[in-house]
Amino acid sequence: MTPSQVLAGTLLPAMAFLACVRPESWEPCVEVVPNITYDCMEQNLYKIPSSIPSSAKHLDLSFNPLMFLGSQSFTSFPELEVLDLSRCEIQKIEDDAYWGLHYLSTLILTGNPIKNLAPGAFSGLLSLQKLVAVEINLSSLENFPIGHLKTLKELNVAHNLVRSFKLPEYFSHLNNLEYLDLSNNKIQNIYHKDLHVLYNNSKLSLDLSLNPIDFIQPGAFDKMRLQGLTLRSNFDNTSVMKTCIQGLAGLEVNQLVLGEFKNERYVEEFDKSALQGLCTLTIEEFRLSYLDDFPKNINGLFNCLVNVSAVSLAHVYSRRLEGLPKDLKWQSLELVKCKVNQFPAFSIPSLKRYSFTANRGVNSFTDLTLKNLEFLDLSGNGMSFKGCCSVKDLETPNLKYLNLSFNDVISMSSNFMGLELLERLEFQHSTLKQTSQFSMFLSLSRLLYLDISYTHTHVAFHGIFSGLFSLQVLKMPGNSFKDNTLSNIFMEVTNLTLLDISECQLEHVSQGVFDKLLRLRVLNMSNNHFLLLDALSFKPLHTLQNLDCSSNRIASSNGQDLQHFPSNLTTLNLTQNPFDCSCEHQSFLQWIKDQRHLLVEAERLECAMPPDMQGKMLLSFRNATCQIPKVIIIVTVVSVLVVSVIACLVYKFYFHLMLLAGCKKYGQGENTYDAFVIYSSQDEDWVRNELVKNLEEGVPPFKLCLHYRDFIPGVAIAANIIQEGFHKSRKVIVVVSQHFIESRWCIFEYEIAQTWQFLSSRAGIIFIVLQKLEKSLLRQQVELYRLLSRNTYLEWEDHGLGRHIFWRRLRKALMDGKSWNPEEQQMQKTARKKQPL
Amino acid sequence: MQTLTMTRFLTALLVWTLMAPGSGGRGRGTAWPTHTACRNEGLEVLYQSCDPLQDFGFSVDQCSKQLKPNLRIRLGIILREDIRELYLDISLISKGTSVLHYSYPICEADLPKFSFCGKKKGEQVYYAGPVNNPGFEIFKGEYQILLELYNEKRATVACANATVICS
Repeated sequence: MTPSQVLAGTLLPAMAFLACVRPESWEPCVEVVPNITYDCMEQNLYKIPSSIPSSAKHLDLSFNPLMFLGSQSFTSFPELEVLDLSRCEIQKIEDDAYWGLHYLSTLILTGNPIKNLAPGAFSGLLSLQKLVAVEINLSSLENFPIGHLKTLKELNVAHNLVRSFKLPEYFSHLNNLEYLDLSNNKIQNIYHKDLHVLYNNSKLSLDLSLNPIDFIQPGAFDKMRLQGLTLRSNFDNTSVMKTCIQGLAGLEVNQLVLGEFKNERYVEEFDKSALQGLCTLTIEEFRLSYLDDFPKNINGLFNCLVNVSAVSLAHVYSRRLEGLPKDLKWQSLELVKCKVNQFPAFSIPSLKRYSFTANRGVNSFTDLTLKNLEFLDLSGNGMSFKGCCSVKDLETPNLKYLNLSFNDVISMSSNFMGLELLERLEFQHSTLKQTSQFSMFLSLSRLLYLDISYTHTHVAFHGIFSGLFSLQVLKMPGNSFKDNTLSNIFMEVTNLTLLDISECQLEHVSQGVFDKLLRLRVLNMSNNHFLLLDALSFKPLHTLQNLDCSSNRIASSNGQDLQHFPSNLTTLNLTQNPFDCSCEHQSFLQWIKDQRHLLVEAERLECAMPPDMQGKMLLSFRNATCQIPKVIIIVTVVSVLVVSVIACLVYKFYFHLMLLAGCKKYGQGENTYDAFVIYSSQDEDWVRNELVKNLEEGVPPFKLCLHYRDFIPGVAIAANIIQEGFHKSRKVIVVVSQHFIESRWCIFEYEIAQTWQFLSSRAGIIFIVLQKLEKSLLRQQVELYRLLSRNTYLEWEDHGLGRHIFWRRLRKALMDGKSWNPEEQQMQKTARKKQPL
Repeated sequence: MQTLTMTRFLTALLVWTLMAPGSGGRGRGTAWPTHTACRNEGLEVLYQSCDPLQDFGFSVDQCSKQLKPNLRIRLGIILREDIRELYLDISLISKGTSVLHYSYPICEADLPKFSFCGKKKGEQVYYAGPVNNPGFEIFKGEYQILLELYNEKRATVACANATVICS
């Protein structure tokens, strides 16, 4: 074994060992808010991690096996405000364990099996307001060392083993205590002496639920004032309940909660007389929650609650709620999740608030007479309303708030006549019927808030919101519009500040819809089917701050209209739209990039078009990508133009080019003439005016042999024809016409030409048919006839295009075999100029 | 005799799951063991916790193909979250997709119905009582049910993948 191997062999286990015993760093913890909030829940920490920044304010150490807290355990976190030590298996907390935590306001010790709590365990906590000591095996409040926590507002010692309700003397120092939760302990008896320390504290709410209370000494609560007292599932039977409630005599309490829990002990055969003891109490608000065996007949049940101002009944299963005392002074009544067969149309003149919500079993609403009612919540009952709404259905002329949400069908039969004081109206998730027949909100000139979301309303009537002059908030998502077009329905709601028209399947916005909404601040148009971000329609909305157009089908916007976009906008939501990131929308895309400080989740905007940009981020769009195609387009256009111009020029100056190029070399320079013309003297006009003019004066110039000009006088015609005509010419042009056939000379010349062609074996005869020939006449000249029917000939056409084509063809035919010598050309030109005609 | 051993087994299971809270650990990636909620002739209900934070104990007292209304269940759990509000989502899963979905509020902030409502993070909850279910007959087959309890912050309180095998 080499020394290096030995070294490695000793070092590796040592390092592994060191790694194991290394104290936990803060790394397993989660940094929720940097330098402020750290979550170390369930990280198997045996010690308080020392490397968390000392600036931490919230520290969650729950579910770590810390086992015990030694003195001054948290001095490294002097800023701590919230400390969670739930289920840390802490059995022992030493003196001054929280020393230095001057700012700690919340301490949570839930679920620790504390056996040994030193008398000074909580010393140094100068600002503690909330102490949660649930399920910590606490058996007595006497030994709980919290007497010095004068700032304490909330003490939760629920789910412990406290047997005695004797509140120790130190409670008289806890002047700020507002909430004491002693629920789920083992308290059986409450004696007179137990509570006397609380005489000076009238702010306290006390929860004693789930304690097996057998006995409350009469007078224990006498002359005491409490903010709240909760007694749920405390009593084993009616008689215990009755005597215990009698034991509360003399108590003045703001809120008294009685009742049971469904899954805990309950009173069998509940007797109405159990509540008789309440007559000796002063109660502001009475709440009854879940009584398993609630009496079917409530006659007399509330006799001692006549002077209560607020009553809540939850989970109370009584078929009929009838037989209330006559002279009730209740101002507020709440019935939640009760099973009743009939809508309880109580007649309690003093009632100002009535909530009847989430009750099952009631099918339809019956008329209600409550003259002083201001607040009526009938939501979540699945009831149907045969008529809504006027003072006939709801004899509540002072009503300001009406909630009919989450019900069944509501037939709009009148326009709130007599309910003009309404300020808030909600119908969401109920089905509104007959909404398009008249202006159903016409009387509600004071209404500030209207919610008709998801009411199956089909807006087909322009006057739907007529009369709502004060309306500030209008929520109507989940409805539909005629032709899926947002029409001019907002002409009178000029005070609107919030408008929600999301999920309405809208595709278009009519012109001028928002013209009157000069105070609108929030506009939600999300989850519709808009294809375009119509900036022009938002033009009148000068005060708009928040615009939501998310989840539409917006691909682009008209780039020129974007300048009209509201300038006070602070948030703009365009997420979940299939943007078209092609170059034609370049200005729109650039605008979005410019507005990114307003945009919600701007970095998540995606392109859906064109295919090569699909799935890419909109903000990654670059204008430069559009310039390359532009250049390409320009180059293409220019090159096409150039090519076509060149092509035109080439066509036009074809023969000039031929001349310049001098490409057609031909050896037979001895020919004087390019062509000998055979024609009848009758056609001489045409020959002189057309043929000679065009061929000899055009480009390229040809030299023709014409008998009247070029035949040498004094020589026999036949000799001239052969000598001058055929011998010196490369080609022969035969001008075929009626006269030609009739002329003997012409036929003679033609026959010689044919013989000449045969002898010199040159294809040199060009036929020009000047005029249509009679076939019978032509047949006389059998040879000519056969030739014309076999060979290509030129036909004279006396109109623009025909002439053009004729001359090009003729020139081409004559060019065949011509020698192009520019000098010779020049010579020929000058020669011709000198030549007298 | 058989029911007695069954009850003992269930009690042992509940005690075991409650006594070993820290045995889990976040992000370990190991699946929790599959437990039996009930087993009887022809019907077997198995479940596995799908909450990475913890396992829990659960049993159904009666177990028959003809499901009785208001079944009694037992549930033991140590809360990782406060449950001021508590909601239950039940999904019947067939071939990987949710066929039936049902959501039910169990605890509401105001005047809650059950005594465990409002319990705190770190507190132990043991519920033994009826559930509000209708009675019906379970047809032959194998069903996957996903149950999730969550609180007002949408944090998972408990989650279970249950398999119901009816033969």
